[in-house]
Amino acid sequence: MSPELIVALLAAAVQAAAPILFATLGEMISEKAGVLNLGVEGVMAIAAFAAFITCHTTGSAVLGLLAGGFAGALLCGLHSLVCQVFLGNQVVSGLALTIFGVGLSNFLGTPYVGQGTAGFHQIALPLLSDIPVLGAIFFRQDSMVYLAYFAPVAVWFFLNRTSLGLGLRATGEMPAAAAAAGLNPQRLRALGVMGGGFLCGLGGAYLSLAHTHLWTTGLSGGRGWVAVALVIFAFWRPGRAVIGAFLFGGVMAFQLRLQASGTNVPSSLLLMLPYALTVIVLVFSAARAKYLKTGRSAAPAALGVNIEPEG
Amino acid sequence: MSERQYRTDISSVDVLPQVRLVDVSKRFGQVLANDGISLSIMPGRIKALLGENGAGKSTLMAMLAGRFPPDGGHIEVEGRRVDFASPREAIAAGIGMVYQHFMLVENMTVAENVLLGQEGGFVLHPAAMRKQVGELAQRFGLGIDPGARVGDLSMGERQRVEILKLLYRESHVLIFDEPTAVLTPVEAESLFSALRTMSGQGKAIVFISHKLEEVLSLADEIAILRRGRIEGEFLASDVASPADLARRMVGRDVVLDIERNAVDQGRQVLAVRHLSGHGLDDVSFDLHRGEILAIVGVAGNGQQQLVEVVCGLERPESGEVNVLGQDWAKFFQSRDWKGALAWIPEDRAGLATCRGLSLTDNLLLTTRQGFAQGQWLERSRARGATTDIVREHNVQPGNIEAQAWQLSGGNLQKFVLGRELYREPRLMVAEQPTQGLDVSATEAVWQRLLEARKTAGVLLVTGDLTEALTLADRVAVMFRGRVMGLFPVTDTAQVERIGSLMAGLKD
Amino acid sequence: MLLQIRKREESLGWGVLVVYLGALALALGVCAVLLTLYGRPGLGGLAILFRGAFGQSYSLLDGLVKAIPIFLCSLGVALSFRMQIWNIGAEGQFALGAVGATFMALSFPGLPGIALMPLMFLAAMLAGGAWGLIPAVLRLKLGVSEIISSLMLNYIGILVLEFLVFGVWKDPASFGFPMTAEFTSGGQIARMGPTLGLALGKLHWGLLACPLAGVAYSVFLSRTRLGFELAACGEGERVARYAQLPYGFLVLLVMGLGGALAGLAGSIESSAILGRLQPTVMVGYGYTAIVVAWLARLKPWPIAFTSFLLASLRVGVEVMELELQVPAAFGQIMEGGILLCVIAGQFFLSYSVSLKRPLSETPPIAKEERA
Repeated sequence: MSPELIVALLAAAVQAAAPILFATLGEMISEKAGVLNLGVEGVMAIAAFAAFITCHTTGSAVLGLLAGGFAGALLCGLHSLVCQVFLGNQVVSGLALTIFGVGLSNFLGTPYVGQGTAGFHQIALPLLSDIPVLGAIFFRQDSMVYLAYFAPVAVWFFLNRTSLGLGLRATGEMPAAAAAAGLNPQRLRALGVMGGGFLCGLGGAYLSLAHTHLWTTGLSGGRGWVAVALVIFAFWRPGRAVIGAFLFGGVMAFQLRLQASGTNVPSSLLLMLPYALTVIVLVFSAARAKYLKTGRSAAPAALGVNIEPEG
Repeated sequence: MSERQYRTDISSVDVLPQVRLVDVSKRFGQVLANDGISLSIMPGRIKALLGENGAGKSTLMAMLAGRFPPDGGHIEVEGRRVDFASPREAIAAGIGMVYQHFMLVENMTVAENVLLGQEGGFVLHPAAMRKQVGELAQRFGLGIDPGARVGDLSMGERQRVEILKLLYRESHVLIFDEPTAVLTPVEAESLFSALRTMSGQGKAIVFISHKLEEVLSLADEIAILRRGRIEGEFLASDVASPADLARRMVGRDVVLDIERNAVDQGRQVLAVRHLSGHGLDDVSFDLHRGEILAIVGVAGNGQQQLVEVVCGLERPESGEVNVLGQDWAKFFQSRDWKGALAWIPEDRAGLATCRGLSLTDNLLLTTRQGFAQGQWLERSRARGATTDIVREHNVQPGNIEAQAWQLSGGNLQKFVLGRELYREPRLMVAEQPTQGLDVSATEAVWQRLLEARKTAGVLLVTGDLTEALTLADRVAVMFRGRVMGLFPVTDTAQVERIGSLMAGLKD
Repeated sequence: MLLQIRKREESLGWGVLVVYLGALALALGVCAVLLTLYGRPGLGGLAILFRGAFGQSYSLLDGLVKAIPIFLCSLGVALSFRMQIWNIGAEGQFALGAVGATFMALSFPGLPGIALMPLMFLAAMLAGGAWGLIPAVLRLKLGVSEIISSLMLNYIGILVLEFLVFGVWKDPASFGFPMTAEFTSGGQIARMGPTLGLALGKLHWGLLACPLAGVAYSVFLSRTRLGFELAACGEGERVARYAQLPYGFLVLLVMGLGGALAGLAGSIESSAILGRLQPTVMVGYGYTAIVVAWLARLKPWPIAFTSFLLASLRVGVEVMELELQVPAAFGQIMEGGILLCVIAGQFFLSYSVSLKRPLSETPPIAKEERA
């Protein structure tokens, strides 16, 4: 493989990693607040459509992006409603959300299949894009990817250096302690779920606005599930999410390149790569946690447990 | 509404009560937890709220803390009526609570826990936070490392963090719920002196307890809560002795004077020799049929690990354990359900029973081998046995199809005890069997445990010294996984040293 | 808070039905709104849905046919859900089951049905069961979330099926369409109609698997010791340790059996409906099964009823597709929407909600009421 090909592959990996990173960070925030959201796949699908249709009608990619984010937040608001107000089982509610979201996205999007939209285009950053090798990989991307560079830092800062983030983390570890401290755990959870949903929506929006620039069914392609797995892989830390997202971006880019190059390897096998990798990643994380035997799990202690009403 | 006449010399001074409860009532379904309670909490005084579990103390404190509103009556702060819509409002009104089960986030640092929910701007500066909390701790003499992870701290240290939270908020009323439950006697003393200091600085202190000596040594005023009502309120100086206090509590001479008949000692049921590992350090003792051996000590000093080994959950790392005449490995290979080992764990709702299953199913949980023919389960026979147990042990409500979560703590414990006794064990391990139970349930459980001696040896793990000294023949004190002392209850010299032994002071 | 929420002490009784019907109505209402947004008649569309689902005898038969695989998969899913083991992998186990059956059908085409059928079923159940065991083992040995692993295996399982159908098993006579050769008569499940002399549409003898599986499920859970231990394990691993319940074994059992049931469903579908293996055998029954299991609260008769209901809705959606050009994804919206509404509605089964009286109006508690 020539160096140019490798560079091109890495650049494609970075681009493919961006939506996954957004989705992973979004899910991470939700889980840090204590809510497991398995509906990310559905959220990304809906957001992809919302972004597409907005950009298609208004011609503005930025508006489309925002639409995708808000669609994501709204759908996650539904999850929040079912789990927090109606004390629904978080696992099943998330699954229902996925089925609903993917279905809704395909349903609403059927008339638009194959149609294109403006979307984001690559912008080469001045000076930075001229750096040999690195410039070509990291600094000749579209604006969403540049946004993705800041996202992990912003999320880390929010979670660890703001009082809101502190409250949110406390809610995910022990809602009773947050309540005793005078905070409102339900409100903080809702914030986490919907804020995270906004980020997941941004990831979904990227799929239709920058990844392909046109609408087809099944755009999310399992990425939402990869995001859930990556949160575990990242041990709930934003920094590590970058590694995971880049890994998956790489595999997806590699698989696409291979398919396009007309290889003998059957496409079905190639398509299996990301899913198999997800399982491997989970196995690796679990084995590592076991090996380290720290005795404490990295997961937020109250994850998946609903807050029951009192008195 | 009835107007009770309390001794008015308490509020005789022209000082405004910091907090006043006026005829407060609260109902949960059928249960009237608080019934027309009126109480004044004065600044600079320490008031003890004395009562058994189930008397309504926790409900009262929860309302003061703003967790839920009263159904009747109201609360006044500094003379003005308040209706707390949330804990935040109660905190803002200057009411601070330290719960029995600490409200601390284990995965966060001391500084983060103290400053959680406090005003201080959107952005946090960890170094500044640590400095701030460190200074506060220094000022009040509460030594603690602000950067330490709370999960790594001891119980006494965690309590200091809880106190720091209140001090940071400049609470005027500090309420402590069973503050010494997890402390060694030495730590308890240092807590008491801290409380006296704070009271001297004008803070109003309320502490909830059911330990009579503690109440007498610390409180200025005592209020007795029984069945949701204030049964009496008086100055501590008016009380002659713990027995006097106990009488005022129950209205008659304390019943908790159980009849202990002598029982012949039988053959050995448990022998532990130099058991080490898993947090245990060279533990040795044996147990015979006919006796109760109490393991006392502050929670977290190896009792749980000991129970896990004796009950087969953890393999003994080094040393020997002989259960009912068989080596540990051999005994736990083939589990007989009858005539063997029965374990009554501390967590009766989460471990001993399945909350979503019926009582019959809960019986089957540990007796299923006795109702199975191969794979077939004889449910009708099990239902019959459940009905018998429910009747014999007076489990309310008497419906065997009721699910475990619907039973109160006392009834659930009676059921668990009934179930385990049905198995005719020869070795019984009971952990904190009367924790959270009211007087009548406690009596019932104690009677059963004493009766069990006729057919079994009982290993009683408890943090309640009264329980230990009432029921046991011998006492073993544990500290950091070691047995600090093992002696018969009749050895008064040793019994008096239990406190120091619990704190690890050998001599 | 204006509302007072209390945990219920007694069960609702008939109120349960009201709650479920209410949730269903809400979900269908939302679907009607979506239809209008799409430019189709809302209530009219629903009417077509119901007519298509229940209107004619052949639609009822069609519903029954579709209910068979859903029911079988759902039993398997319900088994593991009882233990709070979230088996999402029914779809992939279904695929592997179809693959296993196809392997037998293609390897032994000459065998008569009486020999080939059992072989196919066995292979299907083994393949599906093995596929279900993978997440189980990962969960037991490493604590890997069975939700994600079983889900990933869904995708992988379908790709395995496609790999085989596009590759080694491709029928040379199929003109490029991805499908295997047609199974011989020994490998196809016959329709019931001709044998019984009745007009029974596509209903086939695979139906018999359902009462067998249903009875086995029911008896297993209520009468056997393992079934009891399974229910008790649902409370968690800690209780399992205390009561020495064979938690690990039960995890393997439920995932293996669940996989086997889904695999059986896959073999029945490919054998009876298609008569060969094609990627189109995958229509999402595995996911519908999850919805059914949850709606039916894991109980056998409700699972049967709900399987039929959701199967009929699928039939109805097919009619909507034809008559109104509504995309097939509408069925997914319905299933997801119904599940969401029911989850929310189930809240009312455990809690009662009433208006809180303002404190100033609270009447004094009379002396007589004191316990």
